[in-house]
Amino acid sequence: MTDTETGMDLIALRDGVRGVLAEQASHERVKAFADAEQILDKALWDQAAGLGWTALSAPECFGGLGLGALELGVVQQELGRAVAPLPWLGTMLAVEILSHAGEGPQVAAWTEGLATGTRIGAVSMVTPEALSTDLILSSGAGGLVLNGFAGDLMDGSAADLLILLARREDGKLAWVVVEPSIDGVTPEKIGTVDRTRHLAQVRFTDVWLPSERLLAVDAERVGQALLATASLAIAADCDGGANAILELTLDYLKTRQQFGKPIGSFQALKHRCAEHKIALVASGGLLAEATDRLARGDDEALRLALAAKALCASVYFRIAEDAVQLHGGIGYTWEHPCHLYLKRARLNQQLFGGETAHLDRVAQLLLAAA
Amino acid sequence: MTLSTPTVSPARVFDPLAHKDDLTAFRAEVRAWLEAVVPADWQTRMTGADEADYVAFQRWWFAEMQKVGLATPHWPRDWGGADIGIRHQTIIFEEVARAGAPGPELFVISLYHLPATLFGHGSQAQRDRYLTGVKERGEVWCQGFSEPNAGSDLASLRTRAERRGDVYVVNGQKVWSSYGAFADYCLLLARTDFEAPKKQAGITYFILDMKAPGVTVRPIRQATGQSEFCEIFLDNVEIPVADRIGEENAGWMIAQSTLSAERGLIVFELSERMARAFDADLAEAKRTDAAWLKDDQLRREFTAAYSDMVTLRLMIRAMMQEVEADPHMGSATLPTYIKIHFSNILRRYTDFRVRIGGLAAQAQQPAVMGGGHQTGNAMHDFILSYAWSISGGTVEILKTVIAERVLGLPR
Ligand SMILES: Cc1cc2nc3c(=O)[nH]c(=O)nc-3n(C[C@H](O)[C@H](O)[C@H](O)COP(=O)(O)OP(=O)(O)OC[C@H]3O[C@@H](n4cnc5c(N)ncnc54)[C@H](O)[C@@H]3O)c2cc1C
Repeated sequence: MTDTETGMDLIALRDGVRGVLAEQASHERVKAFADAEQILDKALWDQAAGLGWTALSAPECFGGLGLGALELGVVQQELGRAVAPLPWLGTMLAVEILSHAGEGPQVAAWTEGLATGTRIGAVSMVTPEALSTDLILSSGAGGLVLNGFAGDLMDGSAADLLILLARREDGKLAWVVVEPSIDGVTPEKIGTVDRTRHLAQVRFTDVWLPSERLLAVDAERVGQALLATASLAIAADCDGGANAILELTLDYLKTRQQFGKPIGSFQALKHRCAEHKIALVASGGLLAEATDRLARGDDEALRLALAAKALCASVYFRIAEDAVQLHGGIGYTWEHPCHLYLKRARLNQQLFGGETAHLDRVAQLLLAAA
Repeated sequence: MTLSTPTVSPARVFDPLAHKDDLTAFRAEVRAWLEAVVPADWQTRMTGADEADYVAFQRWWFAEMQKVGLATPHWPRDWGGADIGIRHQTIIFEEVARAGAPGPELFVISLYHLPATLFGHGSQAQRDRYLTGVKERGEVWCQGFSEPNAGSDLASLRTRAERRGDVYVVNGQKVWSSYGAFADYCLLLARTDFEAPKKQAGITYFILDMKAPGVTVRPIRQATGQSEFCEIFLDNVEIPVADRIGEENAGWMIAQSTLSAERGLIVFELSERMARAFDADLAEAKRTDAAWLKDDQLRREFTAAYSDMVTLRLMIRAMMQEVEADPHMGSATLPTYIKIHFSNILRRYTDFRVRIGGLAAQAQQPAVMGGGHQTGNAMHDFILSYAWSISGGTVEILKTVIAERVLGLPR
C-alpha cells in the first residue's frame, strides 16, 4: 500500500514503527511506566523524535516530512496497538493548527521545534459540540492578556507548547500559543485510570503574551480541521488496540486448556471472537475510507471521521471488555496487559467528545446534506 | 486514632432479635441500631484507605454486628444462629442498604460458604470449633479451590494430599483466593486419588490452618489496583485427619454445597444495595439536573436497567420463598439465573455510569474500600463488576449449566 500523494510506502512505515515499539514500548515497559505514574517516557520520546515520527506531518519547508492523514493514521494505529505512552498526538495536532497559520518566523520556529521533537505540544480538546472555551484573551500593555482555565489537555503535563482556544473581548474565538513555563500559568496533572496517558488542567492568571502568540487563522475552521484529525487519530488508536487485544485473546484461547482441550474450541467463545472480527473489519473499513477522504481534502471527510471515531471506539471497548472475561482470572490481574487495553479503550471513548456527541453531529451533517 | 476506629458509642443497648415476633418493631430496632452505630462518614474515611485500616474497619464492623446478634442471624439456632425467617432477613438487608452500612466483605466465606459446607457435611466437632470461631472470634476464612490449571475445570485440580498416619501431607498451589492474606482458615480442595476413573471422584475436602508450617501466601494485584485475591503455596503442609470434611474422595459433592452459597443470600444483600444505588443516582441526577436525564437514549437505558433490577429483586424473593418453604429442596435453577442476571445488570449499569460520567469519570479516584459494587467511583465500580462474571463459576459455565440441566439440551 502506497500513499499516492506522498509516495510513502505505508506497509514499510507500519512495520518500521511496529518493530521499534515492540522493543521500546513492550508491555513490560508500558506497565513500568503506568506503575510509576510517569508523565513522559523521555527515552521513548527521544527515540520517536530521532526516527522522524514527530516530523511526520510538518511541512518540508519547516524541516518536516510533509506527510498526511494516511501516515498519521498508520503511526497512531501502532501506538494504539502497543498502548504506547507517547504524547505524540498532541504534538501532531499542534503542528496541524500551526499549518493553518502562515509561514512567519514564529510559526516556523514553533513548527520546527515540534517536528524535531525538542518541543512537545498539547492542544485544547475540541468536541463535536459548538466550540467553547473558558479562556479570555484581552489586549493589554502592548500585547495580550490571558485569563481563565483550560481543562482536559491530553498529555498536557508533558507539553511545553500549548495551543489553546480562547475567546476575544469581541466574543470571537481565537487560537493562542502559550508556554506553560511562564509566569501566571499553573498546570496540574490529572491522572487518568488509563495510566498510559493523562490529562492536564491549566489555570491562567493575567498572563501577558506578545501579540504574535495570537495565530492569524479562522478559528472555527481550524477547530473543525482539528476535530477531524483528532477523531481519526483516536479511531486509529482504537483500531490498533482492538486488533492487538483480539490477537492476544485468540492466542490465549488457542493455548489455555480446560476440560482437556483449548478453551477456544468452545463454541460460545468462538462465536464471540468471530463477531469481534467482523466488527473490526467493518470499523476498519470505515476508518480507512474516512482517512482516505481526509487525505484528499474531501468535503465529507469530517462526517466520516466523526462516524469512524464513534464506531471504532465502541468496537474497541466491546472487544477489550470481552477480552478480560475471555481470559478468566488472569485477565483480571494487574500483571496481565488486558486491563491496559480496557482502560485505554474507555478513555478513547471520551476523548474529543463521547459517542453521543459524535453521532449527533454526524446526524446534523447528514441532514444538512440530504 | 486510626481511620478505622469509629468514634460513635451507641446511646443504649440494642437488641433487634428480642423483637423477632413483631416485624415492625424488629425493623425499627434494626434501623435504630444502624443509625446509632454506622459512622456517617465511614465511606469518606475508607476512601483510599490502606489495607491495615480496611481490615481493622471490617473487623470492627463484624464485631458490632456480633454484639446485636446480626452477624450470623441466618444460621440455624443449633449452630449459633438466630433461626430467623426470610422476612427478617429481608428487613435486615433492606435496612442495611438503606443505612448505607458497610458490607462484611472480609467475612463472606466465613458467613456463607463455611456454614453451607459444615451444616451438611461437617462433623459435630468441626461445627463446634469453627462456627463458634466465626461467631465469637470473628475468624476469617478463604476458599482454596481454583488452581492455575483448574479454573472452570475445577475437577482437574492437582494439589496433592497424601495420608500419613493421622495427618495428610499437602503439596501444591492455589490461586485467586479472595482475602487469603488475612484468612485464619481455608476451605481447601485437594486430590487424594490420582487413579480415580472420574477425576471428580479423587478429591477430598479439608480445613487448612493458614498459619500451618509450609503455607505461603502471595497477594495478587487486580485490575482495580487492589490486591484482594492471593496465591497460596502449599509445601509439605500437614493437615490433621480431624480437619478433613466428609469422607476421603467425597470432596467434589461437598464442594457443590459451598459453591451454592455464592448464589443465595449474598446476592440478596447486593441487590438491595443495588436498588438503593439506583434510587440515589436518580435523585442525584434530578437534584443536579444531569444532562443524561434530558437525553432520550440515555434515559431509556437507565429505565431499562431499572426494570432489570426490579426483576432481579423479584427473582430473589421468589427464591427465598422456595427456600423458606423447603430449606433442603430449594430451587436448583433460580440461584443460577439470579447470579447471571445480577452480573449482567451490574456490568451494564456500571458501564452506563462510566459513559454518562464523560471525561471526568476517567480521572483516577481513590476507591471506597469496602464500599461494595456501586460506590459512585464509576470506573472502579465498572472494573469490579468482573468479580461477579468470573468468580464462583463464570457466566459462560453457568449458562451451559442452565442449557443442559434446565433446558435439557444435549451435552
Ligand atoms: C475476583 C475474583 C475472586 C475469586 N475468588 C476466588 C476464591 O476466593 N477462591 C477460589 O478458589 N477461586 C476464586 N476465583 C477464581 C474463579 O473461580 C476462577 O477464575 C473461575 O472459575 C474461572 O477460572 P479461570 O480463571 O481459570 O478461567 P478459565 O477456566 O481458564 O476460563 C477462561 C475463559 O474460558 C471460558 N470457558 C472455560 N471453559 C468453558 C466452557 N466449557 N465453555 C465455555 N466457556 C468456557 C470461561 O468462561 C472464561 O471466559 C476468583 C476469581 C475472581 C476473578
